[in-house]
Amino acid sequence: MSVTEQPLTQNKHTLQNSSRRSFLKKMGIVGGGLVVGIPLTGCASVKFPNAMDGDLQPNALLQITANNDIYFYLPRSEMGQGVYTGLTTMLAEELDVHPGKINVKNVGAHEEYANPEYKLQLTGGSNSIRVHFIPLRQMAANVRMVIRQAAAQVLQLPLDQIQTDNGMIVANGKKLPYGDFTKVAAHLSLPEETPLKKKADFKYIGKHSKRLDAVAKSTGSAEFGLDVEFAGLHRAALKRCPVLGGTVKSFDDSNVKSLPGVKAVVSIFNGVAVVADHYYQAKAALPVLDVQWELPETLSDFSSDSTEAGNGKQLFKAALDSDESDNAHEEGNGRDALKTSDTVVSGEYWAPYLAHATMEPMNCTAKFTGNKLEIWTGCQNPGVAAKLAAFYGDVAKDDVTVHSTFLGGGFGRRISNDYVAEAVSIAKASGLPVQLIWSREDDTKRDYYRPASMAKFQVGLDKDGNIDSWNVKRSGPNILPYTIDEVADAMMPGFLPGGMVDWISKAGYGLFDGWTVDPTSVEGLFEDYDANHKSADHVTVDPGLPVGFWRSVGHSFSGFFKESMMDEVAILQKQDPVAYRLKHLKNNPRLANTLKLAAEKVGWGKPLPEGHYHGVAVHASFLSYVTQIAEVSVNNGQIKVHKVTCVLDCGLAVNPEIVIQQMESGILFGLTAALYGEITVKDGAVVQSNFHDYPILRMNESPDIEVVIVESDEAPTGVGEPGLPPIAGAVGNAIFAATGKRLRSLPLKLS
Amino acid sequence: MISFKLNGQTVNVDAPGDTPLLWVVREHLTMKGTKFGCGMGLCGACSMLIDGVSTRTCIMPVQAVANRHITTIEGLGNPQMMSTLQNAWVEADVPQCGYCQSGQIISATALLSQNNNPSDSDIDIAMSGNICRCGTYPNVKKAIKNAAADLRNGKGRLQAVQVFDPTATASPETQEVQS
Repeated sequence: MSVTEQPLTQNKHTLQNSSRRSFLKKMGIVGGGLVVGIPLTGCASVKFPNAMDGDLQPNALLQITANNDIYFYLPRSEMGQGVYTGLTTMLAEELDVHPGKINVKNVGAHEEYANPEYKLQLTGGSNSIRVHFIPLRQMAANVRMVIRQAAAQVLQLPLDQIQTDNGMIVANGKKLPYGDFTKVAAHLSLPEETPLKKKADFKYIGKHSKRLDAVAKSTGSAEFGLDVEFAGLHRAALKRCPVLGGTVKSFDDSNVKSLPGVKAVVSIFNGVAVVADHYYQAKAALPVLDVQWELPETLSDFSSDSTEAGNGKQLFKAALDSDESDNAHEEGNGRDALKTSDTVVSGEYWAPYLAHATMEPMNCTAKFTGNKLEIWTGCQNPGVAAKLAAFYGDVAKDDVTVHSTFLGGGFGRRISNDYVAEAVSIAKASGLPVQLIWSREDDTKRDYYRPASMAKFQVGLDKDGNIDSWNVKRSGPNILPYTIDEVADAMMPGFLPGGMVDWISKAGYGLFDGWTVDPTSVEGLFEDYDANHKSADHVTVDPGLPVGFWRSVGHSFSGFFKESMMDEVAILQKQDPVAYRLKHLKNNPRLANTLKLAAEKVGWGKPLPEGHYHGVAVHASFLSYVTQIAEVSVNNGQIKVHKVTCVLDCGLAVNPEIVIQQMESGILFGLTAALYGEITVKDGAVVQSNFHDYPILRMNESPDIEVVIVESDEAPTGVGEPGLPPIAGAVGNAIFAATGKRLRSLPLKLS
Repeated sequence: MISFKLNGQTVNVDAPGDTPLLWVVREHLTMKGTKFGCGMGLCGACSMLIDGVSTRTCIMPVQAVANRHITTIEGLGNPQMMSTLQNAWVEADVPQCGYCQSGQIISATALLSQNNNPSDSDIDIAMSGNICRCGTYPNVKKAIKNAAADLRNGKGRLQAVQVFDPTATASPETQEVQS
């Protein structure tokens, strides 16, 4: 058995650079902190959007016009998680303007929109509120100060007599709009360290502030990528190889060209596209389009299914049982401590591949005008999209304009920009402006999937039944090799020739020689509980199905694995699952606190309605701490989740209502995975295709959810993802309480 | 030419009879509020009211709606004048990514037009055809109940705009036949 098969090459760039892939593969690349240390390079003088004389536009994020219209160019992508409201609220607080008065704009690519932590224009990792919390408020406070200074100058009053109120300067008992002073303010130098408001003085942060995008999204007027329209726009559908990574050997379009509306049939790097006046015409042409494929070698032989006999699972199991592994983490004596344990409890768990299934299928619109290229899309990293578009469109990066829309769901899927590469290639080959629309089937079958994972724990106990050592080994694919190429290239200056970019990319990878394990492959498996000794090891097994960032990333499986294991240990020791967890959370007080509060809230241990059982799980991720307790019944093998109680500590909740929604959202997303989610592969092709065989939880299947936010003065931390990791464990543990059956594989099924 | 009433206005469309209504409305009539989600009638993103019934239009051939009354999200209200349900949606902060919400509001409108005091289970049944990947169900339910209470108190209307304004979505294939 081989555990080091070459991963699939997914795009033109990597096809040309399989040696780089091998290099990455050998390095076991690499880390979540990867991009942080590399300086962002590129053109430093790109002009601000919509620039106007007389306006105050201190940077690419904020514009105050002489008419007192305030524009906030939203640096992070709004995909449902609430940055459109949350970031605006933070800006509004220090600018002293009601959030509802600010015009929020989805933005194109610009270096000043870089995520302060990643140094890329990337939205992900539940960090938007956290990383902008100081810089964005500081910027707004400085701008408010410079407007006050300008007002002081114009009105010839001392600064301390110039106050503000909701976008107005208040002086001498009069109110004058900020806009009256923008022209003067624009010529003053911006102060740098204006003191920020104290929590007690907040008007908007921490209060209920309505979602600013709700009206547009409740009236059908919010623009998503699929809604882009202009005269002369054509629609495209793409026929791809059933096996991921396959390429076109030859094709025959004679049956297609005469079909109604069809304007062009073009071959691109991964398939053959039909361009037509309307989408239904392009889509109808695909079945009669005859394409011969060049199949990729490795993935074609791969089949997986949920049964023990499926060779997919066998690959992971063999890797897990092999002696091969890299160490990701060690404390104390690591695994050696097992030799002196009184008892060793073992458990082995499995989680399958998962698709993102955003409601809006992938899409991108591309239009060439001479050497200039425009693209329209909703994505999680427009800067990378621009770079990819330049590469596939064979134009200079500065000649690419990105128009961003709302995202009809992201969940990590729209970090990868394969649909941009496709749309640009089709527009270039056909010479027509095109909107590439993925069908639901395309979307299900061509994802960057949540990596399937298997893990084995060995927990060493002392004579009192307490945990002495916590050891875990995970087998599965790593995400970074599938995403690093796009990201690394996007960070290179646009004027460098391609060969040099490639060379620098390789040199860049050398910076991460110290990393041996992709942290997203093991995160969440070992951190939460106290133990004198710990070890986390990893062995890479990768059949070649592309994998990517799926809401909560490694935590999406590690939360289930770790919390099931902990439950098993507690129950084997005949100890209460809550009390036993608390005993091992002494060094994790914020997580312990959420557990105590949740247990109190549900009356843990007190009688429940007939046939109902509780299961508990805790998990820290993205710097937030979550406990969930699920109330479950099982009848004739049917699992019913009645209620989920969730306690969260995310530091200061900037918008408590959105925080609650994000917990509900994470729970329901995680519950879909816990009860239904499974992508399987047959001879290299993904089996599932649409919502009938990849079901999503519906309203009638959804539990009641109660969310409690812990009051906190700590700085805000993640909420978009941390609600997800505990839920599968909580439900699995409740099923055990109900039935005595321990389900160690996802999705949870009683057969 | 196939003729039907769209948001109160008669439209004539030159499209093959088996073209799904969704694509006729989105591409021929360029009204983009109704969304494409699955193409199999499974997710409800494409829901429109056909003679008052919430219908999956991604699998509804346009010829089947000849001379019938179609209402899309744009026909219920607009940002300046929202229906009671749309107002309730905003008040309850329902939308997250927002992509499925047009379909959710259409299905909720169909429900409340038949039953202005729905139970939890009535709501579950009426809304189970509409998938929301963000999991907005708790707030969808809350908004429906709030809107139903407004309707019972005579404070609401399920349709805030009665007349379709053809100039808002003018396209060469749209023809005004009568007002």
